[in-house]
Amino acid sequence: MTMKTTLSIVAAGVALLLAAPVLLSQGLLNAAVQMLIAALFASAYNVLCGQAGMLSFGHAAYFGVGAFATVHAMNAVGGAGLLPTPLLPLVGAGLGLVFGGVAGWFATKRTGTYFAMITLAIAELVHSLAPHLKGLFGGEAGVSSMRMPAWGFDFGSTTQVYYLVLGWTLLCVGLLYLYTRTPLGRLTCGLRENSQRLRFLGYDVHGLGVAVFAISAMFSGVAGALQVLSNESANYVVFDPALSASVILNCFIGGVSVFLGPALGAALMTFFGYAMSDLTRSWLLYQGILFVLVMLFMPAGLAGLPGTLGRLRRRFGLARLLPLVLLSVGAASLLSLGGTFAVELLQRVFSQDYRAAVQMNPGVAWPDVTLLSRAWSPGSPATWAVPAALFAVGLALVWFARRLHRALEEGESAPPSVASASASATVVNVPVTRSLA
Amino acid sequence: MDQFLVSLMNGVVYGLLLFMVSAGLTLIFGMMGVLNFAHASFYMLGAYFAYTLQGAIGFWAAIVVSPVLVGLVGVGVERFFLRRVHQYGHAHELLLTFGLSFIVAESIKLFFGNYPVDYRIPAALDVSAFTIGGAQYPVYRLLMGGIAIAMFVVIYVLLTRTRVGIVVRSAIHKPRMAEALGHNVPLVFMGVFGVGAALAGLAGAVAGAFYTTNPNMALELGVMVFVVVVVGGLGSLGGAMLASLLIGVVTSLAVGIDRSLADLLALVGVGDWAQGVGGLMTLKISSLSATIPFALMLLILLVRPGGLMGEKG
Amino acid sequence: MKQRDTSSRNRLTHLAVAPVMGLLVCGAAAAAPVKIGVLETLSGPQASSGQAYRTAVRYAIDQINAAGGWNGESVQLLEYDNQGGPAGAADKLKAAAADGVHMVVQGASSAIGGQITEDVRKHNLRNPGREIVYINVGAEALELTGEKCNFHHFRFSGDAQLRTKALVNAMKQAGALGTRVYSINQNYSWGQDMERAIADNAAAGGYQVVEKTLHDVNKVQDFAPYVVKIAATKADSVLTGNWSNDLLLLMKASKSAGLKVRFGTVFLDQPGNLANAGDLAIGHFVVHTFNAEAGGAEGERFVNEYKARTGHAPAFIEPQTVFGMAMVADALKRTPAEGGKLNVNAFAKALETAKVTSPMGQMSMRAADHQVQMPMVVSTVAKDARYKADETDMGFKPVKRFTATEASIPAQSNCAMKRPG
Repeated sequence: MTMKTTLSIVAAGVALLLAAPVLLSQGLLNAAVQMLIAALFASAYNVLCGQAGMLSFGHAAYFGVGAFATVHAMNAVGGAGLLPTPLLPLVGAGLGLVFGGVAGWFATKRTGTYFAMITLAIAELVHSLAPHLKGLFGGEAGVSSMRMPAWGFDFGSTTQVYYLVLGWTLLCVGLLYLYTRTPLGRLTCGLRENSQRLRFLGYDVHGLGVAVFAISAMFSGVAGALQVLSNESANYVVFDPALSASVILNCFIGGVSVFLGPALGAALMTFFGYAMSDLTRSWLLYQGILFVLVMLFMPAGLAGLPGTLGRLRRRFGLARLLPLVLLSVGAASLLSLGGTFAVELLQRVFSQDYRAAVQMNPGVAWPDVTLLSRAWSPGSPATWAVPAALFAVGLALVWFARRLHRALEEGESAPPSVASASASATVVNVPVTRSLA
Repeated sequence: MDQFLVSLMNGVVYGLLLFMVSAGLTLIFGMMGVLNFAHASFYMLGAYFAYTLQGAIGFWAAIVVSPVLVGLVGVGVERFFLRRVHQYGHAHELLLTFGLSFIVAESIKLFFGNYPVDYRIPAALDVSAFTIGGAQYPVYRLLMGGIAIAMFVVIYVLLTRTRVGIVVRSAIHKPRMAEALGHNVPLVFMGVFGVGAALAGLAGAVAGAFYTTNPNMALELGVMVFVVVVVGGLGSLGGAMLASLLIGVVTSLAVGIDRSLADLLALVGVGDWAQGVGGLMTLKISSLSATIPFALMLLILLVRPGGLMGEKG
Repeated sequence: MKQRDTSSRNRLTHLAVAPVMGLLVCGAAAAAPVKIGVLETLSGPQASSGQAYRTAVRYAIDQINAAGGWNGESVQLLEYDNQGGPAGAADKLKAAAADGVHMVVQGASSAIGGQITEDVRKHNLRNPGREIVYINVGAEALELTGEKCNFHHFRFSGDAQLRTKALVNAMKQAGALGTRVYSINQNYSWGQDMERAIADNAAAGGYQVVEKTLHDVNKVQDFAPYVVKIAATKADSVLTGNWSNDLLLLMKASKSAGLKVRFGTVFLDQPGNLANAGDLAIGHFVVHTFNAEAGGAEGERFVNEYKARTGHAPAFIEPQTVFGMAMVADALKRTPAEGGKLNVNAFAKALETAKVTSPMGQMSMRAADHQVQMPMVVSTVAKDARYKADETDMGFKPVKRFTATEASIPAQSNCAMKRPG
């Protein structure tokens, strides 16, 4: 993708984000705030994970440190706040930087799996100690605070909070992008590629590692601070391994090799959780399945998808690619529909209430379950035939898509004189691809 | 003195239980370099399979069949999931096992519900072995410890004295050479993964009856198993045994110590100041008994990252 | 019996037409139905209690609608999953506020309760005219009716002091308390509240607390070391506020060590506990808010009705939720519509003086701190209980009943409630 297209896409995205309060309902706007925070956290994490290649398992610790620092700063000076509300994330950044520096100094003494284990140990230690340190972490109700008005805004409505969070997120993501352009950012990639060679070139690899860790922790602290500004409270459950796990998930689902990949993955998964959790009880199962499928079939993450499509298009041309794409999309939809249907049916049949109802009336046939506002009888084969049929058709489409892909590859590798069909196809395609390139 | 002895024995048995679960994990890591986040899920599956089978075929048969089933699940995971992601690097394998652990936990909640299930020790085994210090010591605890020790001996003998063991060990240290010599290394990987999973399943089947069997079992034990593997040394069976015993005993004995840092400082006369400071100073060691393993893990990682019995550096 | 799935339908259509609905609701000056939101932990590790609360609230709302709803319209129930944490709860509260709910119901966790009460307070400050009331049906942290008390928060369950007072009184009367009591609790606010309550009741109970222990929440797998400590003190009974695994494992460990102590608990009636514990639970005590056997004919009727609608007998926190919602219904009946809409502050004022008669006795709300004055019952696990639990042959046999007045504890002094004008 050219510089111009990238810039125009980014500009369009920013414009959309700025217009969000007009376009979205209050509930969705709040979800958007959470998506922005998650996107910032994931981008900060990607500095360490994707760019420096150091997989950290306990990054929630720095998010949490930033959060608690900010909430205490908000409560300082008798509730008026240490800094004006819009500047409070600086506190989170500062403490995230310091704590990240200290932790990073220890953690980067080792590499690979040992590094990951050290970060896990630090995070678990903080998580275990936090409930005991009431003064700092406020027990399980957490520490609560209130946003103070500043600079003419009262920060009472979700819209104002949204713009505050958006401003900081755009600023930080912009800074992170500029970071990748600096020599330090380049050295970060060097850490991932070949730290031994860096050492030979004379760089202090340990110091470099500490700096990168601290920078990643600093921006994670900003994300934590933004969450506190939005929720007006901080709770030690923020140190839970689940949050560390979710940021890793988001990063890899989005794709670590593209700069905006983790942000995209985080936004998507946050929205997925927000939307699904009220629709179905089994949404965690769907999240797990989605994650495993992405890991298996899209190792470059979702952000790698445009790249793959672009490559395929350059190879085969749009006309031949389109049926393949349609087949794949169709197969994916049918398989997910079938899977969702089966899971929802199973969930209803195995639920406690249903099993109790069955046991109450032992002689009678099993009662119906409700799904999509219709009654389905679990005893009849027709009910199970629906997901089975969806699966069967979906798998058939997958088989067709695979055959088509193989045919395209073989057709492309065969010399033009052999297959007249492919020759005419290339003749037809050349002007098409030229105009689209 | 009696109390100390009982605490010690309890710690040893708990440590042996940890060993049963972490033995498989450390072998798998040593062989494939992948830290299997789904390992604790195998533990949970073992307990649930045993609970389901117990009604049909009886307790002892369930304890034997359930690990076999879990082993098959492990083989399936390796063959159809891990092998596909192997090419993308360790991070991807790790994250895949992580996603699988989610799926297993949620599937169990789907089929068995959110509450603990009624998986209990059969009445015949629910007796006491002997009385010590005014309390009785249950037979089942000794049985758990016995199974763990037997497992250790069997695996050790298998790995060091049999041909299969030699092939496995060579596949762990030099997989390419072993493959060049004509051994089916992918089959070895699959087998070790399956055996590792089966061991965790056995631990679950045995321990699930004694402790509770609920969908959060994997979360509860999962992190402790990682601590054991790291402290013992990634890939070292002996290290896993040593580390599990250490952590089991330390956790058990720490509960009996109602002293805090302030009490220690009182010995040098600054006790009152420490009490005034509060916070970390007045935390009792007994309240921190679940936190100590993490501190130990951090210490080991900084001082001797290879673990107690792993390679240095 | 058909499974009611109003939730999926509601949420699905809501998501699809959210902006349009928003406009419609704003534009309509005609009758607006009362919206009640259940903000619970419906997924994740602690989902079991959250789902029980949801079932009970659904039942209660069906009762309200069967009696005619409010102002001629049915009361609407909206469900939100707080995903197990205070951050999720804060998010979903904002979503609920955006959907226009008039009250949120929650009970599964004191941590989340603490978050919700603060968020509700701030929302009400910033949005006069669109207030929300927090109906707390289970978060028992003392501070919610103490330091953090708030005009728009109403608690319909007990707290550590209420429960311990009743438990100690009943156990002493049954001769099961002894003079040496061991206190073991979880190391967080609930457990610490219980520890303090057990110490406070020592004089009334005529016992000495031989040792107090706090342990990590839901992290201890092996309680044998703690059992060793209990045995060393030669305690007669153990009083504990532990729940879920922490309670089960403690009891199992003490049974396998052959420890002969009597347990006085708060959460022994949690579903799954009796099934898992088996015979070792017999003889131990629990203080709870409902016992069908103690409720007589009324209790039996309530159990049968509940079972007919939901498929299982009301257990654990379900009865107190239903009774709390009955008080909400009482307050709704006494709140006239203003321009077709519910005035939430007027409703809250009516709720302050709500009174109902449950199968356990008279219940009323105390206006000073918004803590319900409710009857308590202490039961023991026995094989000859009338209603069996968990599909075992054991159930909870009532030992002593306390009326609301007998069980009552004075309001905490640090509650300074600010009332709206």
